[in-house]
Amino acid sequence: MNQHDLRPTLDQLDSDGAIREAASRVNGHTRAAFLRRTGAFVGGSLFAAGVVPNLALAASTGDVAILNYALTLEYLEAAFYKEAVAKAALSGETKRFAQVVADHEAAHVDALKQTLGSKAVKKPAFDFKGTTGDQATFEKTAMVLEDTGVKAYLGQAGNIKAEAVLKAAASILPVEARHAAWIANIMRGQPAPAAFEPAATMDEVLQAVKDTGFLSGAASASPGSPVGAQPRMTG
Amino acid sequence: MPDSIEGLPPLEELDRDGAIRETADRAGVSRSRLLRRGALAAGGLAIGALPVAMSIAQGGGLPKSDVDILNYALTLEYLEAAFYAEAVSKGALKGDAAQFAQVVAQHEAAHVQALQKTLGDKAVKKPSFDFKGTTSDQDKFITTAITLEDTGVAAYEGQVTRIKTPAVLMAAGSILPVEARHAAWIRDIQGAGESPTPAPEAFDPAKSMSEVLDAVKATGFITS
Repeated sequence: MNQHDLRPTLDQLDSDGAIREAASRVNGHTRAAFLRRTGAFVGGSLFAAGVVPNLALAASTGDVAILNYALTLEYLEAAFYKEAVAKAALSGETKRFAQVVADHEAAHVDALKQTLGSKAVKKPAFDFKGTTGDQATFEKTAMVLEDTGVKAYLGQAGNIKAEAVLKAAASILPVEARHAAWIANIMRGQPAPAAFEPAATMDEVLQAVKDTGFLSGAASASPGSPVGAQPRMTG
Repeated sequence: MPDSIEGLPPLEELDRDGAIRETADRAGVSRSRLLRRGALAAGGLAIGALPVAMSIAQGGGLPKSDVDILNYALTLEYLEAAFYAEAVSKGALKGDAAQFAQVVAQHEAAHVQALQKTLGDKAVKKPSFDFKGTTSDQDKFITTAITLEDTGVAAYEGQVTRIKTPAVLMAAGSILPVEARHAAWIRDIQGAGESPTPAPEAFDPAKSMSEVLDAVKATGFITS
């Protein structure tokens, strides 16, 4: 069977380009023909160990934009799983998956926010359109989100300048891949569909996110954010 | 925390003669804090990265430290590829584990080929292996596969910031999540999402070359 058959929602995600701004800021850098990395950080320190790189000293504009791009994706994932756990409509291994992954994505959000400090983008408002309250729809959506996460991190690997940021991203990338494989296996799909993982550009990812329609507005830009079924979806 | 996986042999039980330690010593050089990358970093070039890396390598343009890292990766991939090829040929596995072995055998063989092509005549030779019966027993196979795949993830992750050539970084980057997918898959086969969990931590731990080589050595799988 073809895992791609299970991905209808990839082209159905977001509606107002709330995070496109981050993309436009980073593009100038991502296209640079010559990158130079300053590794002004402690070697061997890992995000995970509680040694979150402090970008206040050495962040480049490009890295900040990349980190905010990652943060936005993590906000989306974290909110998705949190809502799924809260709605409690899942069962079996899928429920267990949602619980574990909700913790991971929340940890990614925390780490990225700490890293960015005052430069962190605000959490957008989300509308998951019922995908968190139905087992089959949740599974499909989770797979799309995780596969997209893997491609998104991979697509930025060559663009990151600071060594500590690259390390942090490299410690998150395989976790997203583990999530993707896990949910694929739960669905009896293909946990590892190819020998080499494809990457996606920021534009591709943002378009995919936009097409989901899950982003209902940027919290920072819309004081009168949508009402209704989103508990605490703002900043 | 990272290594305490219930029911698994500690990594320290793997390789015993340091067959590939030489590579580690040679690569020890590149710990430099200041990396300078000549990038051709067009955004999503992952799939195209291997051919690009190959053309760089064939032009003799890879820095020695990158050659050493690639040979380190190649050695690990030789081990994995041989392990799965033997498991498939022995035909003792059943169910999901049998399917896992078939798929992953192909992936690891593809990784070996890509790394060999990238390195050209600088590629290390394939060592001899003795998998000590772990390829023909379902439980031992699963346990060993988990260890190998988790180690693969930690190994690639540990080199990410040391690679100097962007195309090599993208190539390694395109393999890293595949190893992670394998790890999660076989963990899920083993534990059905419970124990061992497919994704044990929010941040995957990296390992240094010497840590990985010690672990590989402790397996005793490499005989020459």
